[in-house]
Amino acid sequence: MTTPTRPSLDDPSLTIPLDHAGIFEPIPLARTERQQEFYALRDGEMLLNMGPQHPSTHGVLRVVLKISGEQVVDLDPVLGYLHRGVEKIAENSDFHHIISQLDPLEYVASLFCEWSPVMSFEKLLDVQVPRRAEYIRVLTGELNRIASHMLFLGWYALDLGGITPILWSFAERDEIVEMLAAITGAKLLFNYFRIGGVNGDLNHEFMSRLGDWMSRAGAQLEAGMGLLNENEIFVRRARGLGVLDRETALRMCATGPNLRASGVPFDIRRAHPYSVYPELEFEIPTRREGDSLARYLLRMDEVRQSLRIIDQCLHQMPDGPVMARLPRLLRPRPGRAYSAVEGPRGQYSCYAISDGTDQPFRLRIHDPSFLHLQLVGLLMPGNLIADTMAIMASLDPVMGGVDK
Amino acid sequence: MDRAFRALIERTFGDDLTGPVRQRHDETEMRIRPGDVPQVMRTLHDDPRLRFEYLGDLAGVDTGTDFQVVYHLWSVVTPDWLRVVADGIPRDQPRIPSITFLWKGAEWMEREAYDMFGLVFEGNRDLRRIYLPDEFVSFPLRKDFHLPDDASRSPGGGVRPMEDAATPADAAATTVRRTARAR
Repeated sequence: MTTPTRPSLDDPSLTIPLDHAGIFEPIPLARTERQQEFYALRDGEMLLNMGPQHPSTHGVLRVVLKISGEQVVDLDPVLGYLHRGVEKIAENSDFHHIISQLDPLEYVASLFCEWSPVMSFEKLLDVQVPRRAEYIRVLTGELNRIASHMLFLGWYALDLGGITPILWSFAERDEIVEMLAAITGAKLLFNYFRIGGVNGDLNHEFMSRLGDWMSRAGAQLEAGMGLLNENEIFVRRARGLGVLDRETALRMCATGPNLRASGVPFDIRRAHPYSVYPELEFEIPTRREGDSLARYLLRMDEVRQSLRIIDQCLHQMPDGPVMARLPRLLRPRPGRAYSAVEGPRGQYSCYAISDGTDQPFRLRIHDPSFLHLQLVGLLMPGNLIADTMAIMASLDPVMGGVDK
Repeated sequence: MDRAFRALIERTFGDDLTGPVRQRHDETEMRIRPGDVPQVMRTLHDDPRLRFEYLGDLAGVDTGTDFQVVYHLWSVVTPDWLRVVADGIPRDQPRIPSITFLWKGAEWMEREAYDMFGLVFEGNRDLRRIYLPDEFVSFPLRKDFHLPDDASRSPGGGVRPMEDAATPADAAATTVRRTARAR
């Protein structure tokens, strides 16, 4: 029996090749053009892993930062930690079952990722949704938008080092999710929209809570925003950070507040009206600066518009049924349908193909967070590591939607 | 449905169209050959009568026999969504030109389509897997990729161990194998 030889530091098979140094895992050999560029380190550059367990990445995201000193030269987001394969799941489940599977995609504003698939199934089936149901959808949707923007306000301040705003904004958010829990039974993953309507009418608890809240919401929300809007530390930190110009925003397929903060007045509620939005009066806030501050302020403007919409919904809401009459088992005729809704983060859309069975042949889910995370790679280079969080948080991606 | 827009599309892309321009609800659909994608997209994007500046979505589709790449575009000139279907991408040679030269943001959507269908977008500088690990060998949204409880039906006697689940091979297949063309 021979004694095993001790590994020697001179053994070439045990030394790490130079261009792998600093990374904890070997780089796959087949590299794309972009990877070759990214992993070719110049003098003074090093790679740094941020995440997947990092509080500022808003979920399970890993970012490989290429840094030179304190400056970010380039970065490569690594996705997939939350990937469930929801499109494959959808291809193998009943049309009704899909809705509950889609909720966790956008766990901050989950009504919106239900909305667009439900709309496209209704197009496939040629169903007319009752008007009351449409109003309820808009009402709950706008409430959810406010809740989402309030969470953004809190998280953004937290990422920049301010603790107070999240305590204030969570109080508002909590009131809204309690309200929604009164009709949906859930505070986070609502599973409320149904093909042809909504699951249950507005009830007394919801209405009394909403009436209560609406009487003071305006002032309370302004107070919460006031913590940051005129806060000199915050404004000076966020102004001019991560500037996204109009052309780049369109080229990068940015949507929602991030696109409007760059001067494109594109809002699907007006650009391609759906539901009862044509009957409601509201403005599309737009800003030209395209920096982090503009993105923040634009979301706060949207909150004010959402309050207007909620108020109108309450006044205009008709009586009637909240569900269309539909069979239990849905078999849409073969065809294709696409529908898009404007969520708090941008365009949620869905492309559904039916082949005549009770399961969709293909369901494509499009989530804005995915494209906004891609923007991070464009806006970050040249900034300091500490600004990665400030920029990423101002784009407001939700990892559930990014990873699907 | 915007009939005038349909006429405009038919006039502009007469020979590039491989099928009739169809309209349903608020959607207009045109079918083109995959090789024509860059030229058609450039016209849609740059032509002052069309001005499709906004790319709404890019989706891969497996029809069971071949692949499609489906683009959804928005423009101020029409209230409809425009759906451009690049049709008939063969299974053994799934290649299609990339549109990242117009919309850089399509890069990740093309990476996703590559990850899920194995579609190769020529001209995309970063075509690698985006959700699944690099060692993954198959393309899960293809119609011949079955979920683990249907592994016994998968061609080649099952899927690779990494994608496999601990399901007995004689488990009842709950998924229906669908290869019908979704027309």
